[in-house]
Amino acid sequence: MSSKEEPVSHSRRRLIRNGMQVTLAISLIGIAGRTVLKSASDDLVWQLDPFKCVQCGRCAKECVMSPSAVKCVHAYALCGYCDLCGGYLKPDPNARTTAAENQLCPTAAIKRKYIEDPYFEYVIDEKLCIGCGKCVAGCTSFGNGSLHLQVRHDLCRNCNECAIARVCPSEAFSRVPSHKPYLIKGDFKKG
Amino acid sequence: MNRKLINGLLILIAIAIVVIISTDFIGNKAGQNKSNPYEYNIEAFKQVDSAKVLYNEVTTFPVLADQLSGIAVSDSSVVVAAGNKLLQFNFIGEEIFRKPIIDTATCITMDGKKNVWIGMRHFVAAYDLNGTLIKRWKSFDERSVITSLAVSGDQIFVADAGNRVVYKCNRDGLIIARIGEKNEQKGVPGYVIPSPYFDLAIDNSGFLWVVNPGRQSLENYNADGSLRTSWGVAGMKIEGFSGCCNPAQMTIMDDNSFVTSEKGMPRIKLYGQHGELKGIVAPPDLFDAGSYYAPDVAVDASNKIYALDFARKQVRIFKMK
Ligand code: SF4
Ligand code: SF4
Ligand code: SF4
Repeated sequence: MSSKEEPVSHSRRRLIRNGMQVTLAISLIGIAGRTVLKSASDDLVWQLDPFKCVQCGRCAKECVMSPSAVKCVHAYALCGYCDLCGGYLKPDPNARTTAAENQLCPTAAIKRKYIEDPYFEYVIDEKLCIGCGKCVAGCTSFGNGSLHLQVRHDLCRNCNECAIARVCPSEAFSRVPSHKPYLIKGDFKKG
Repeated sequence: MNRKLINGLLILIAIAIVVIISTDFIGNKAGQNKSNPYEYNIEAFKQVDSAKVLYNEVTTFPVLADQLSGIAVSDSSVVVAAGNKLLQFNFIGEEIFRKPIIDTATCITMDGKKNVWIGMRHFVAAYDLNGTLIKRWKSFDERSVITSLAVSGDQIFVADAGNRVVYKCNRDGLIIARIGEKNEQKGVPGYVIPSPYFDLAIDNSGFLWVVNPGRQSLENYNADGSLRTSWGVAGMKIEGFSGCCNPAQMTIMDDNSFVTSEKGMPRIKLYGQHGELKGIVAPPDLFDAGSYYAPDVAVDASNKIYALDFARKQVRIFKMK
């Protein structure tokens, strides 16, 4: 007889989350700054709405960049820091460990770090991430949906016609203002 | 002649280009079902041995309301909390009334006197069976997220996911005890609540059972708040509770069997009083593709199981075969 409400916070984890949020914010602001400079003449850049994305795999395959300019990002404020993380572990893993056979990510781009019993932190290594969305699907199904995909504007070439947008089955791509180039979960509300 | 040949060739080349481009476009078109090499695939876990399915779905009826939050059943009616409304139905699904309630409901239960207790985010309110407000407790605190209620005589148990605690209260909302906070001396591990799914129920002997969703287990408490026993195994296989925050919903039958309901891959199962899997009430394929929320569950006096399906906005009733 439970409800569907906002996640629960915890002082120590909140501290960590805040730290991570700041880090994420700084990196995104930095990237956003570069993007604005890069495309001073362009007012709009491509971005995807994580609430529309159905993790079809095309972000990994269709981008003109290789690896894709789409990466997984983590909304730490939404994360449950679960031991049994649906985004990190394969369905029904042999054990909840960092062994390759237990990891869901095809490129081992997610790093799992013990915080305190029973909490773990998950960090994306963007150099390894190919934007396949597999972890996003796992986290959305069995976690809080804190992992999600975003076009990273330090990598995106802002093609005239985004090759992914053309084939995205959920019409998740749109042009957004270059001064607000990210649609980060937790920063904006669904609908 | 030469000119004609060249024109013909050019037309052929133009047609070929158009065919190639449109085939490519149609093949890649948005909405086309291309295979996904990175698919998150749990189909194997949705297949169940039909011999293990112990129940048939016998009736369904629609709940024409938004923000469904919970269901409870008495010997005379079914009540559903939805947003700022309390809805009452008879057993064939005819709506008897819908009445406004003072805030948005998060959970609902009924006591032996057929009063309806409704959890709001920070507080609890009680209504009689005609939907008239009879009690409104004061708020617990700002961090509170009330997710479940159970009544045992004059005691009301309240699950607060925000503060990770169960309150034992009297009928006026006075807190008599706080249960389940981490306490090594009492052997209490503390609740792990990654998202606000935090259910509880009272068994036939009056003992409190609380879901510890981050540990995929059910915990049983003595009256003094010490841990009596617990059970539960994590896993996608049918014996286990899949992913974090499961079982997201549960209720207890007359014989102290547990009915559990999971989110992510919705499925409803029946466990014996010691946590052994007895069988399946509703397998995953009974729920719509893409369904995510765990149906809330309640049991009537004849042991029929009522599932509130949030995706279909239906009450679905299951009877043992
Ligand atoms: S193409 Fe669209 S639906 Fe597919 S992964 Fe990318 S954003 Fe999501
Ligand atoms: S599973 Fe895919 S999207 Fe997620 S981190 Fe790994 S490569 Fe990136
Ligand atoms: S605009 Fe171009 S580079 Fe950017 S995500 Fe789309 S295809 Fe990739």
